[in-house]
Amino acid sequence: MSARAAILGRLKGAEPDRAEADALLIALERPRVDEGALEAEFLARLTLPSISATHAVIDSMDALPSAIARYLVQQGQPLTLCLPPDPRLSGCDWSAFTLHDSAAPDEAAALAIARKGIAETGSLIFETSAQAPMLPNFLTLHHIILLAASDIAPYLEDAPLPGLQPRAHYWITGVSGTTDIEGTYVRGAHGPRFQHVILLRQRRDVA
Amino acid sequence: MSAFTDRAEAALTDRLLKIAVERTAGTAETKRAAAVAAFPDFEAARTRAAAIKDHVIAHLGAYLEQFEANAVAAGARVHWASTADEACRIVVDICKAAGAKTVARSKSMLGEEIGLPHALAEAGIDRIETDLAEHIIQLAHERPSHIIWPAMHKTREQVSALFKARHRSPHEEESIAAMAESARRELRAPMLGADVGISGANFLIADTGAVCTVTNEGNAELSLVPPRVHIVTAGIEKIVPSMGHAIHMLRMLARSATGAALTQYTTFYTGPRRPGDRDGPEEMHIVLVDNGRTKMRGEGLAEMLRCIRCGACLNHCVVFRQIGGHAYGGTYPGPMGSVLTPALDGLRQSRDLPQACTLNGKCQEVCPVRIPLPTLLRGWREKSWREGLEPTAMRLGLGVWVWAARRPRLYRLGAAIAVRAMQLFARRGWIATLPFAAGWTRHRDMPKPARQTFMAQYRKERGK
Repeated sequence: MSARAAILGRLKGAEPDRAEADALLIALERPRVDEGALEAEFLARLTLPSISATHAVIDSMDALPSAIARYLVQQGQPLTLCLPPDPRLSGCDWSAFTLHDSAAPDEAAALAIARKGIAETGSLIFETSAQAPMLPNFLTLHHIILLAASDIAPYLEDAPLPGLQPRAHYWITGVSGTTDIEGTYVRGAHGPRFQHVILLRQRRDVA
Repeated sequence: MSAFTDRAEAALTDRLLKIAVERTAGTAETKRAAAVAAFPDFEAARTRAAAIKDHVIAHLGAYLEQFEANAVAAGARVHWASTADEACRIVVDICKAAGAKTVARSKSMLGEEIGLPHALAEAGIDRIETDLAEHIIQLAHERPSHIIWPAMHKTREQVSALFKARHRSPHEEESIAAMAESARRELRAPMLGADVGISGANFLIADTGAVCTVTNEGNAELSLVPPRVHIVTAGIEKIVPSMGHAIHMLRMLARSATGAALTQYTTFYTGPRRPGDRDGPEEMHIVLVDNGRTKMRGEGLAEMLRCIRCGACLNHCVVFRQIGGHAYGGTYPGPMGSVLTPALDGLRQSRDLPQACTLNGKCQEVCPVRIPLPTLLRGWREKSWREGLEPTAMRLGLGVWVWAARRPRLYRLGAAIAVRAMQLFARRGWIATLPFAAGWTRHRDMPKPARQTFMAQYRKERGK
């Protein structure tokens, strides 16, 4: 008998009742979010010690390269950037930058576009696709994230995509950190040490 | 003395161990308390989490089949293993078929449980532990001592010395940040060059076929995205019906484990690389491991299958805080380990563990899925008694106690004599040595008892 048949044989039981499973999610306990002030709630989470992200606000995609340049200069970094092959970025003027289309093991800065921001936790939500590689977001030292203000949602329940799932759906809530030595928090364990969110307040440019 | 008592005695006299455990567990306890206080109705949320797990365990077979069908539809290969050996064989065979010389491993307690590090070594496959704590204990040739902080038993000074001896370009500044940076430098290239990435799973999502991992370091993603093959080893109890259920459990897990609202990196992997993807593994294998879980479900330990491996019961256990994790001897230490180890390794070999508990109930109070750990531990004690596994001295002692307890007048007389005799050994309110009780007083003092027994005081008060 195969291991599969043996295990399932030992687990014989009734088919789960979907309604019973759904009922377990009614009136969930979860942190309260002021749904009338999502942007303020989200930005407040970014300042928590566990996240410690910085942010800037732009009003059009044209302003994105200069906002990134300002951040990198402030951080004493060269204008070098790993850019995803996302058509929404192709209209920007990147002439001031040295661009990489894949991340080196010691990549200094990478840009990613978040599909959503979650006010409950300050999480940024991503999916992999041909236009959105995953690795640069974990290799880079400075993780720069573009988020449309209108894509901020209140709760983690707003993060998942319905239907067929992408290869990887991931939530980033702060930078790479560890408390593995004496419980002391240290930033930049393996991945990014700095997170900078650029909030775009004009939705149609990122759509 | 048993192996456990030998280890516990050695741990009790290890001053550095106590400092190390107290630093991390103490911080974890404080942070969890703050996170729970800030959460609206955490008690109701615990009840819901327990109900979700109970629902899954009641319908485990059907949910596993649903998960398998969805994972396969997404391009993953699903394997089933009844035993630890079978699981290791499957993983090693996949590695060999991939021609793997090195694997990058993201921390997984299931991997430790099935002995995967040893199986990989036997197969001649180099293992790169990518979690910082697992890296520390790999360098030190030790086992994890905690399920969330595997290197909890090490002080910063010990880690510093280890890295200076073993890293190619170690830290110069004596700070924890510099030590973490040293590990980052040491691990980055081998991690990115690994042939296979191996992870556990925090949750398996039945209705999508996704595997969820959570880390704060981002090492899971760096271990699993670059290699050509991703292997997941997961206990069959990790299933949840949907993303919605996973989200509730994630809220409970992070707060109970580290006191955070959420881990920094939460990733749901559904199948291998898709056409056009620039990164990601070409093959994804998921090994569903039983290793005694179906037996636990059928033999009165179903509640233990609720466990989400948060470590809160360890951090709040007065025994764990004194002896650390290694003294327990099994893969899983602390209260949850004392319930799991007899199920995994056999009660005869581990009958001491359910006894290493004060039954103060703190573990049950903090468990995010309300596992009745003291009740389950008592269950093991009763089974040990029924099966005649308790030593003769214990059986004789209890026999004498039962004989006396059935003769109340004699019992009260004996208790009154004992209380008066103990007064003679007390100094400044404490008893440091006591005849026939060296096992108790060797490592701790006993408070001086009251001058009269409870029954004597009760009669006196009632007579007023």
